[in-house]
Amino acid sequence: MIAPDVIQRTLGAALAAGGDLAEIFVEDRTSMALRLDDSRIEDVTSGRDVGAGIRVLAGDRASYAYTNLLTEESLRTTAEAARAGLECPAGSVETDLRRVVGGGHSVVVRPEDVGAADKAATLVKANDAARSQGAEVRQVMVSYADVRQKVLIASSDGRLAEDDRTRVRFAVQVVAARNGEIATGFEAPGHSGGFELLQRYDVEDLGRSAASKALRMLDARPSPAGEFPVVLAPGTGGVLIHEACGHGLEADTLVKEASAYAKRHGERFGSEAVTIVDDATETGLWGSFGVDDEGTPAQSTVLFEKGVLVGHMSDVLSAEKIGHPPTGNGRRQSYAHLPIVRMTNTNLLPGDDDPEEIIRSVERGVYAATFAGGEVNPATGNFVFGMSEAYMIENGAIAYPIKGAQLIGNGPRVLGVIDAIGSDFGRKEGVCGKDGQHAPVTNGMSTVLLGKMTVGGTEAG
Amino acid sequence: MTQDLLGLATDLAGRAKGGEVVEAFLTHELNFYVKVFSGEVEALSASEPRGAGVRVFSEGRVGFSYTTDLSAGGRGAMLDAARENASFVTPDEAIGPAEPTDGPPPEIEGMVDRGQEDVRPDSKVRFALELDRATAARDKRVRAVEESVYSDSDTEIAIATSNGISGTYRRTDAWCFSLAIAEEDDDTQVGFEFDLARGLNHLDAVDVGQRAADIALTALGASKIPSARMPVVFEPFTAGQFLGVLGQALTGEAVQKGRSLFAGRTGDTVAASGLTLFDDGRLPGAPGSAPWDDEGVPTSRTDIIAGGVLRSFLYDSISARREGRASTGNASRSGFKSVPGAAPSNLALESTGQSRDELLQGAGKVLLVQDFHGVHSGANPVSGDFSVGVTGMLLDGGEIVQPVKEVTIAAPMLEILSNIRAVADDRRWLPFGGSFGGATTLVSEMTVGGL
Repeated sequence: MIAPDVIQRTLGAALAAGGDLAEIFVEDRTSMALRLDDSRIEDVTSGRDVGAGIRVLAGDRASYAYTNLLTEESLRTTAEAARAGLECPAGSVETDLRRVVGGGHSVVVRPEDVGAADKAATLVKANDAARSQGAEVRQVMVSYADVRQKVLIASSDGRLAEDDRTRVRFAVQVVAARNGEIATGFEAPGHSGGFELLQRYDVEDLGRSAASKALRMLDARPSPAGEFPVVLAPGTGGVLIHEACGHGLEADTLVKEASAYAKRHGERFGSEAVTIVDDATETGLWGSFGVDDEGTPAQSTVLFEKGVLVGHMSDVLSAEKIGHPPTGNGRRQSYAHLPIVRMTNTNLLPGDDDPEEIIRSVERGVYAATFAGGEVNPATGNFVFGMSEAYMIENGAIAYPIKGAQLIGNGPRVLGVIDAIGSDFGRKEGVCGKDGQHAPVTNGMSTVLLGKMTVGGTEAG
Repeated sequence: MTQDLLGLATDLAGRAKGGEVVEAFLTHELNFYVKVFSGEVEALSASEPRGAGVRVFSEGRVGFSYTTDLSAGGRGAMLDAARENASFVTPDEAIGPAEPTDGPPPEIEGMVDRGQEDVRPDSKVRFALELDRATAARDKRVRAVEESVYSDSDTEIAIATSNGISGTYRRTDAWCFSLAIAEEDDDTQVGFEFDLARGLNHLDAVDVGQRAADIALTALGASKIPSARMPVVFEPFTAGQFLGVLGQALTGEAVQKGRSLFAGRTGDTVAASGLTLFDDGRLPGAPGSAPWDDEGVPTSRTDIIAGGVLRSFLYDSISARREGRASTGNASRSGFKSVPGAAPSNLALESTGQSRDELLQGAGKVLLVQDFHGVHSGANPVSGDFSVGVTGMLLDGGEIVQPVKEVTIAAPMLEILSNIRAVADDRRWLPFGGSFGGATTLVSEMTVGGL
C-alpha cells in the first residue's frame, strides 16, 4: 500500500528525536452493509476508510498520531506529531525490512463480486421465513455486512507484515408480541471469509430460529432471584469464559496488577477437565487473522491447562513488560486506535460428559440458552451476564422459559464451580468492547454445569 | 481549521441530478488523548481525522456512502456509490430529505471554549499526571490507579443539501476520568469517576481523582445481602445509565416498528404522577446540545412524559414524515460514516425539588446503587425487562450500614418509572452515546437478588 522506501523514511522521521521503536499501521477498509426493517430494504450503505497510524515507543510510553492522507508529506507530518509526545535519546531504524508471514485466509466468494441485489435477496428470504412463524412475529430486522480490511504494518525493528482480511456477518432480530408481552430473538453468525457464509448457513433457518426464540420467550415467567445450579448451553456460554477468565489474562491488566489473576500463574482454579485456549489461527473463524495489528503472526495460547493457570495474552508493549514474547493478541479497531491486548477465538475445550445427563442431574436450576452479553471488572473479577433466552430446570428436565435472568459471580471462582463439561462443543460470534474499541471475537464451549451461581431476577427465591 | 468544510459540502450538494436531493455531511476533528499510569505518561495520541458522508434521495429511495478521501476523485466515487446504493432500497413515500427552515437557527451559547485553543499539550499532560497523583494520594489503601485519562476534541461539522439546507458549527469538548483500585484485607474494589466540559480549564483533576478513590475506598468490605423487595436509590451515574436504556425506546422509529416498550401507550400514564421526562437539544452547557441536528434541522425541547403521561417521542425527518408530523430535531449520527437516525440529545427527568441529603434522609433503609454491571445485556428497551448486577451501599436514613457487591436488581422498566418517588436537584450529564442527565433518584421498590 506504501512503498518500502517511503515506509523507511517515515519510520526514520518518527525516531528522529529518539525512541525505542517506531511502527506504522496502514489500513484500507472498504465495507458494504444492507439493512431490512419493517419488510423494507431501508439502508444500503458502502464506504471506504483509508488511513495510517504511527506509534513511537520509548520505555513504557507510547506516542501516537494518525492521518487520513497517505502522501509521504502527510506521513512525515504525522510521524513528527507522534514523536512530539516523547523526549528520549535517538533510536535507530533497521534498513532491511523483513517480511513476516502469517496464516492464510480462505475467501471462496468475494463479497465485492456479489451484486447488491443478491445480498438484498438474502435479507428478504430471512424476513419472510421469520414472519412465516406466525402473526405474533411483529417486527423483523435483518442486516448483512461485509468488510475488507487490508493492513500493512512495518516497524523500525525490521518487521514488515501485511494481512488482507474479509469478514461477513448476517443478523436477524425478531420482536414478538402477545397481550402486551414483548420478547425478542436474535441470530447473528459471522466469519472470516466471503459470501459463502450464506451457503454455510441457510438464511431462512436463521430467520425461523430467531423467530421461534422470540415466540418461546413470550411464555416466559419472571426469573427467580437467588442461588441455583446453572447449565450453560453450548456456544453461547463461551462468553462467560471470555469475560470471567479471558479479560483478566490480558497482559496489560496483569502488568498493572489490575487483574484478579495477577501473580497467580501455576495456581489451580478448576478441575482437571478445565482447559482454556485462545486461538487466532483457525482459518475462517470470526476472530481469526493472519497477523495481529502489530504484525505478530496469529498464535494459539493455552490459558488454563487441566485447571491450572499457565498462560496469558499479550501485545508488543505488555510482552516487553512481562518478559515473554508477544502472543499475537495486539489488536486495534482501526488506524485511529492504539493497539491493545485483545482476545481472538477463546474456547473452553470440550469434555466427556453427556449433555443430556448434565440437565438430568439438576433438580432445580437455570438453563442459560442464549446470553445477550456480559461484562467483567478485571480488577475484582466480578462479572454479570444477561440471558436473553433461559429456562427453569425442574426435576432434571427443562420446565418453562424465564425472562430477566442475570448471572452474577466472580471470574477466578467460577472455574471452581464447573462440575461437568459436555462433549457438544459449539461457537458463537460476538463483538468485544474494551477501552472504547471493538473487536470481532468468537467464544466456544460445550454444555457446562455450574454447581452454584447467583441468579438475578424479579421473583424472590 | 484548514479546509473549507462547508465549501466541500456545498460542492457535493451542487452535483445533484434532476429529481435528486443530495445531502453532504462532513466533519473535521482535532483530537488529543493522554493516558497516565503510575506517575508516567503511558500513551499519548494526537490526530486530525476528517471525512464525508452523502445521502442521495430519489423517488422515495435513499442511498448512503462515505469516504475519507476528500479529493475530487474520492468525492465523485462516494457520490456514485450512494446513487447506486439507492437503487436497491425499497421505495417508501416517507423517505426524503429534511426540509429547510427560514434562516439559520439561533446559535447555542458556549459550544466553544475560546480558552481551549491556548491550552498547550504539556498542560494537558500535566493535568493527567495531576489526576493520577490525586487519585493515588487520596489514601494509602489505594493500591494502584489503573489509568488516568485526559482527552479533548475540537470539531467542525458542516452540512449542505441541494434543497437548501446549509450550515456549519464548531464545538470543543474536554473530558477526563480516573480508575482507582483500593485494597484492604484481601478485598479489592475499583472506583471510576469522570468529568466533562467544553475545555480543560473547567475540569478539576484533584476533585475527580479524589472522588474516584473514594468510590473504591467506601466499597471495601462489600458483601452480598439477602434477596428482598426493597427501595432502591440510583446515584446520578446509574440514573443516567438507566435513562440511556430508556432513550433507545423513546424514538418515533422504535415505536413505529414495535421495537419499544412504549409502543401503543401514547396518552397512557406510564410513570409516577409528578414525573416529567424531557429531551432538550438547546440547553446551554449540556454536552448533547447543537444548533441543529445531524440532518440540519433546528434542535428543540420535547416533553416526552409530562405529569406521568406519555406525550411524545423523538423524531428525525423520515420517522416524522411517517406520522405526518414535524421532526423534533433529533437526527443523530455516530460520525460521518453512519446514516442518521433519531436519538436523544440531552435526556433528563425534571427534579422533584429535594436535595440529595433530604432524599436519602427521608428514604429509610435503601440500596444505594453506585454502579451497574451488565446493562447492555440485562436491560431490554424492547421488552422493558431490566435486570442488572450492581455494587452500592445499604443505607438507613442516609447513614451507611454496609457496602454491597455481587447482587442484582430487577423490575420491569415501566414499573420502575411508576415507582420513582423523588428526583433530587443534583443532575449531572453523562455521555452514553448521547447525553443523559442523571440525578439521585428514589425508586420505592425493586427485587434485589443476593444470598
